[in-house]
Amino acid sequence: MIDFPSTLLITSILGALFAGFACSTTGAFVVRMNLASIGYLMSHAAFAGAAFGLMISIDPVLGAIIFSFGIALILGPLAEKARLESNIVIGFLFSFMIALAFIFLNFIPGNAASARALRILWGSIFSVSTNDLVMLSIFSFIIVIFVVIFYKELIAIMFNRKLAESSGINTRLYYFAILFLTGIAVSLSIRIVGGLLVFALIINPTSTAYQFFYDFKKIFIFSPIIGIISCLVGFWLSLISDFPIGASIVLISAIFFTIAIIFSPKRKRGKLKIHQKAS
Amino acid sequence: MKKDSNVIELVNIGTVYEGERLPVIYDVNLTVKLGEFISIIGPNGAGKTTLLETINGLLSYDKGQGFVFGREIKKHKSEIRREIGYVIQNFEMDPLAPFLCKDIVMSGRTGKIGTFRFAKKSDWDKVWYSMGLVGMIDFAKRPIGKLSGGEFQKILLSRALAQNPKLLLLDEPFSNLDYASRKQVETLLNRIHEKYNITILLVSHDLSFVPSRCKRVIVLDHGKIVMDGGREKILKSDIINSIFNGKGEKT
Repeated sequence: MIDFPSTLLITSILGALFAGFACSTTGAFVVRMNLASIGYLMSHAAFAGAAFGLMISIDPVLGAIIFSFGIALILGPLAEKARLESNIVIGFLFSFMIALAFIFLNFIPGNAASARALRILWGSIFSVSTNDLVMLSIFSFIIVIFVVIFYKELIAIMFNRKLAESSGINTRLYYFAILFLTGIAVSLSIRIVGGLLVFALIINPTSTAYQFFYDFKKIFIFSPIIGIISCLVGFWLSLISDFPIGASIVLISAIFFTIAIIFSPKRKRGKLKIHQKAS
Repeated sequence: MKKDSNVIELVNIGTVYEGERLPVIYDVNLTVKLGEFISIIGPNGAGKTTLLETINGLLSYDKGQGFVFGREIKKHKSEIRREIGYVIQNFEMDPLAPFLCKDIVMSGRTGKIGTFRFAKKSDWDKVWYSMGLVGMIDFAKRPIGKLSGGEFQKILLSRALAQNPKLLLLDEPFSNLDYASRKQVETLLNRIHEKYNITILLVSHDLSFVPSRCKRVIVLDHGKIVMDGGREKILKSDIINSIFNGKGEKT
């Protein structure tokens, strides 16, 4: 294990903490609303955007935000129309984004910039700046406010969108808001976890929490807790093993998910009932 | 143009789905008065759900004019929907879905409470009351995915009632239910209608379940209202037999 200046260590730990919080909180929506493939596309759009940012020498996070916003704008109306096979559109856009990312990476000037580009691909916690931390913490605050204020609307939409619409909720507005929030969470976390793996941090913690709770309120509480723990343990694993940070975080969250599947009380309840009836 | 006296007033309504050329329902003229309990029957694909969703504005009509509570549907969708309880056709529920019954019933009040406002004690009182009304109060903290078909249907009904609706739209409330559960839901609907005099529109493809308090029956076939009248007259008519082949199902 290498010795690091304490400021760098604190910045990195805080970065991991906020990225874990932001991604896994938006994950609660993504998993429930079956937006997994959309979110997956979003993470690759953010990756292409970051590469684009590096190519034209602007902040890669800004590039990532622009690209994921663009994707949310295109995909929102397309996914809205149930008659359109959105998976085909996603498949097309996904490969298109990857192609763009590789082209942009190819044109990034200078060796140092190429190394930065690779860090965006794999993630590097030590490239987190104070600026990133501020943005991540503001975003975390916004998402908490969003969930608290619109909790009843979000629950109604996640249960059944048509029923929610029939009670007078403008579901389209919330749907787009969720797409945008996912895009921003991905864009802000891409430097830490890496463009190729950031989406696992959205899906895994919520999927883990799903194995234990029937109350959505608890999913909203435990999903970010699991996300934060995954990031912190992943960070520690990365330090002691020299694994890339993104890979370590995803590895840990995948282990949590596997354990959750094995020990999930939701999956054991059936047996318990039979046992009770028998006795 | 404003029509105040009727709960629903549809004039020559035609609804076409996006990407389709032919309308699902057409030339629909319907007047529903306050407190009426109407069964809309017709075979699968007759346009029953489309008619309900045209009334609550989930689907936009392309022809004619539609009014609910005297307000034009197209212009006042959100306000109208807050006064309409909608029970959707039975849908598949993930058994692991992380929602408690009480939260689902509360979600019915979302539009009524309004944006940027939180549920108050009076809202929760309404939730407990409507759960009690359908006999599901003991299920308040149960996961929604663990309910049987009949229990799930009652929760959806309770969700619609928690909204304090002036109009109830029920889409196939008896589908996927066994005989006992159907009887329970039927009794419940009769009781609700008797007690609150809510206007109810019930859609069904099954002739054998027209609740006793339902005095008017509308027959929909191929997107058009083919019969509209008193319960006894309609259910005994020959047209019904030809549409349903006398078996309660279209062949």
